[in-house]
Amino acid sequence: MSFLFLSLTAVAAEETRADLLSPSGGLMFWTIVIFVLLLIVLSRFAFKPMLAAVEARERSLQEAIDAARRDREEAERVLAEHRAQLETARAEAQKMIADGRATAEKLRSDLLEQTKTQQQEMLERARRDIETEKTNAIAALRREAVDLAIAGAGKVIERNLDSDANRKLVESFLGSVTLGGKA
Amino acid sequence: MTRPGTLLLALVLSLPATTLAAQDHASAPVTTSATDSGAAQGEHAPAADSAVAKVDIITPHITDGYAMELPYWKPPFAKHVCIGRHIGEHECGPLWDPVRIGPVTLQLSPTKHVVMLILAASLAAIVLIGTARAHTRHTHAAGRPQGFAAGLEAMVLYIRNVVIMPNVGPHGEGYAPYLLTVFFFLLFANLLGLIPYGATATGNISVTATMAILSLMVTEISGMRALGKGYWNTVFYWNRDMVLPMRIVMFLVMSPVEIISKFTKPFALAIRLFANMTAGHIVVLAFIGLIFAFKLPVGIAPLLMAIAIMLLEIFVSFLQAFIFTLLTSVFIGQMRVAHH
Repeated sequence: MSFLFLSLTAVAAEETRADLLSPSGGLMFWTIVIFVLLLIVLSRFAFKPMLAAVEARERSLQEAIDAARRDREEAERVLAEHRAQLETARAEAQKMIADGRATAEKLRSDLLEQTKTQQQEMLERARRDIETEKTNAIAALRREAVDLAIAGAGKVIERNLDSDANRKLVESFLGSVTLGGKA
Repeated sequence: MTRPGTLLLALVLSLPATTLAAQDHASAPVTTSATDSGAAQGEHAPAADSAVAKVDIITPHITDGYAMELPYWKPPFAKHVCIGRHIGEHECGPLWDPVRIGPVTLQLSPTKHVVMLILAASLAAIVLIGTARAHTRHTHAAGRPQGFAAGLEAMVLYIRNVVIMPNVGPHGEGYAPYLLTVFFFLLFANLLGLIPYGATATGNISVTATMAILSLMVTEISGMRALGKGYWNTVFYWNRDMVLPMRIVMFLVMSPVEIISKFTKPFALAIRLFANMTAGHIVVLAFIGLIFAFKLPVGIAPLLMAIAIMLLEIFVSFLQAFIFTLLTSVFIGQMRVAHH
């Protein structure tokens, strides 16, 4: 039943005779020849094209990565620039609005002030004119009154009547003047 | 999975195991290792006489030889092919006579492991070059590889970016082809050993030792190139911070240590790969033997164990190829930054 097993154990005892550890020159020679041939063939036809392709791919990948990084940095820079520009523009606009408002305010107040001044001036002038006119009128009235008085006195003297009659005359004249204004 | 399903799977999986055992059974009398053909011949003769034939199924599988097995449709489902010269009825000897170069005699006849190495190298070349072609085509068409090419590229890039570049250090690209070739060559050689009718060339100390010697040479040459005259400081310990007598003492003590340390690293590389592959195969073969020793139903237990160990061996194949590559990278990196 187990003759093979038995034979195996039997042979195991004789196994020491199997020369496993003494190298054979011929096989070593063939190993070198086969290996060196394989090395030449493989490095020329297999590893060279494969590694070249891989290196080319690695290079292109690296380039793509570098380009992407460069592009991103560029984009970031441009974005920052734009942002700064936007900020400047906004500040400028804000400033312009504020300026405009201030200018308008100033203009308004100026105009108001000017108008007020002008009004005042006009008022003043009118007042002055009125005053002047008044003074003139009074002066003219006085002159007129004097003229009238002189004319009245002249009439009085002309008639040379009694004093009572003169007085009455003058008074009645003056009274007519006062009542009737210019007569 | 249900119980009938498990049994069915076990039966299906046991078929190749049956084939393997059958072929072992049949192959045992004819197989002799290159080194001890004389001794093996002497052993088999009395074994045949005894009532129970003693069959060694493990040794022929893990040792080199001049005979190979190919799939065959008739029982025992294996055909023996002699890659050397037929000697007598069943024996198979070297194809060529040994070559004498000066004092050394080299037996250059192709063996089972040479064939497996050529097979591994060819497979690696076909797969990698085909993939590289597809890779180039896809890269042109879509800008990136697709499918299997993408998967293999991920593997190649993992070895390059995680194993080679950080360990070898700056300008490690030059070592990438060598280290990648080491990885794929060893990987294919390891995996071919797991295929039925295959043999593990990396389970042979000659192959692993050669790979380790190449690794040592690459490491030392990288040191000479990177350090220039400073390379000698990695061989001879000459510390200028010490007083002269102390320096001489330390030189005499430390220089052998330095030199030995250069050789222990590749020695460990060779032994690690050889021992891992050999041990894994012995365990698998032992479990397969136990299947036929126990028969049903107890034999299902070693069957499941054999499957589990086989799956583990697939992982070990990748792991050992990876470790060999990783350690070679580390040694090159250490050598290139060595300052004493």
